Amino acid sequence: MKKINFGLAVMMACAVSVPALAQDKAVAGEVAEGSLKGKTLTFVSYGGIYQDGQVAALQDFVQKSGVTLLNDGPTETAKLQAQVESGNVSWDVVDTADLPPYVHCGTLFQKLDFSKLDISKIPEGQVGECSVPAMNYGVVLMYKNDTYKDNPPTSWKDFFDTEKFPGVRAIDGSGDPVGGLIEQGFIAAGGDAKAMTADDIEKGIEKIRALGPDTIYWKTGAESQQLAESGEADMIMMWTGRAMTAVKNGAQYTPVWQDWLVVMDQLTIPVGAKDPDASYALINAYLGKEAQEILTEKTSYTPINLDSKPKVDDATAAFLTNTPERIKQGFQQNIPFWVKNFDLASEKWSALLSGN
Amino acid sequence: MSALPQTDNQTAGGRPARRLNLRDAGWLAAPAVLLLAAVLVYPLAIIVLRSFSEPEPGLQNYIWFFGSPVNRAVLQRTFVLSGWVTLASLICAYPYAYAMTVVGKNLRLILILCVLVPFWLSGVVRTLAWVILLQDSGVINSILRGLGLSPVKLIRTQLGVVIGMTQVLLPFMILPIYSVMKGIDTRLLQAARSLGAKPWRAFLQIYVPLSLPGVYAGAIIVFILSLGFYITPALLGGPRSTMLSSLVQNQVLSLLNWGRGGAMGVVLLVATFILLAIAAPLMRQKHTQTRREK
Repeated sequence: MKKINFGLAVMMACAVSVPALAQDKAVAGEVAEGSLKGKTLTFVSYGGIYQDGQVAALQDFVQKSGVTLLNDGPTETAKLQAQVESGNVSWDVVDTADLPPYVHCGTLFQKLDFSKLDISKIPEGQVGECSVPAMNYGVVLMYKNDTYKDNPPTSWKDFFDTEKFPGVRAIDGSGDPVGGLIEQGFIAAGGDAKAMTADDIEKGIEKIRALGPDTIYWKTGAESQQLAESGEADMIMMWTGRAMTAVKNGAQYTPVWQDWLVVMDQLTIPVGAKDPDASYALINAYLGKEAQEILTEKTSYTPINLDSKPKVDDATAAFLTNTPERIKQGFQQNIPFWVKNFDLASEKWSALLSGN
Repeated sequence: MSALPQTDNQTAGGRPARRLNLRDAGWLAAPAVLLLAAVLVYPLAIIVLRSFSEPEPGLQNYIWFFGSPVNRAVLQRTFVLSGWVTLASLICAYPYAYAMTVVGKNLRLILILCVLVPFWLSGVVRTLAWVILLQDSGVINSILRGLGLSPVKLIRTQLGVVIGMTQVLLPFMILPIYSVMKGIDTRLLQAARSLGAKPWRAFLQIYVPLSLPGVYAGAIIVFILSLGFYITPALLGGPRSTMLSSLVQNQVLSLLNWGRGGAMGVVLLVATFILLAIAAPLMRQKHTQTRREK
């Protein structure tokens, strides 16, 4: 109680003494004019058109706040760990994959103060203790039209059924274990994903292994796209952005939307970041309606502001994942489970990917 | 500097002068030694230390490494694949280097350029080019199909990885062999012929032994570089051609397990040293044999 009173008192004192600085509440997309003049922020992401789009989305923020925005990347948790351990953190806002902010919450990534961020427009269930989403995308099952013709696969169950649906499968082998796919494998093996235990991870992975030695584990998004464009595989697990580009480039594949795997990138502030308030300001601006529209128009990834109405062509619109229908079809992996069993899952996944 | 004339006075003759040069060279090497200490020895020491100290002091990381069948299998595969790459490079490089010594000046320039140009391209680009060539619907298989032959599985196989790595590493085999071959006195071959040796015998018994130092140097460089390869096996290989570097990457970058990653690196390093220790006397022996034959 005392603490709260003290906090209130400080807040009130601030509000009274420096009214100019007293922002009632953060509003997504807004930043005070000239508030970060002379400051420098380093934004870290994965490069390519994605980071270009993010920077474009932040242009308005840069101009208004007067901040100097530096870019770095690609994000590597090991690099961040080295910075945090040496006490010399040069990254201010870091775009990460799904799980790291949950696995390293409080140790590498700051617990966020949500009074400094407007998260009211973010789709439900996507805000973590240490992260807000940076964008949404999906993992879809793409099948080759020629191979399956009138009898195409309609679910991940068919993906795992090599008897009814023969053909080469391609799977995301780019890094961390894909929890959603292991869960689907476990479901195909007759399990209940909601009641999964650590021992069941092996059962799910066994189902993937059973797809046979022809299975392709692609290492990069570009490789998956290349597989589709050259028709190398009959069913490909693909990121929606890559799937869209492949189709635009003429790949004769069709997405299966039932149980598409929901994926997001995360925005985080590292522990020991030099100026957390400036980092908050950046993230808050990033979450704005217009910023998210620009992001989607430049990258084709799904915006994470519910009000955003990006102007995109039909091909892009077909792969956006935020329509009511898509939201209903999506499959959200059990994040707490994978966070808890991250090491075990990684170990088993890595064995799968090294052919053992 | 004042030591120079002194040394000269102390011992006259050719040998001391050479020793003096060495000492000069030692000074010249100081920046390189300092750089190596800073960017190689120091980080390496830290990796070794962490492999014994994280998450707690002890041998746990090594016990884990050798206790896991996956790690053992991948370690073995790493050495076997590197051996194949070395052999394939040697088979391609030896005739090439030989050709470089016998052709005219202009043609030699072209041959050297062919070796060096790939050096100027990034390994990733070259590997992606191999993807296009080797894939099931790629150039090689299209040609095979066009000729009415059945396509072969090249990409995502160990064969594909060996092909790609051999191309990337070929210059490291060609250049040492060429530099040794260049210095071989071809009159020795003529002498052998004049004493009645058939051409192939003169070549095998005189030329090949004399070129062996270059072969050993090239083979060691290629083999050691192969052991640490990452990009090419990742892009051209499948699960069955994963090499140890991929597992290290997984431990360090995705699990943040520096201790285990470090232990894997140390195991690879020690295994390489052991192999070199076995190979070194063998080479010395061969070398003296050659001399005797000379």
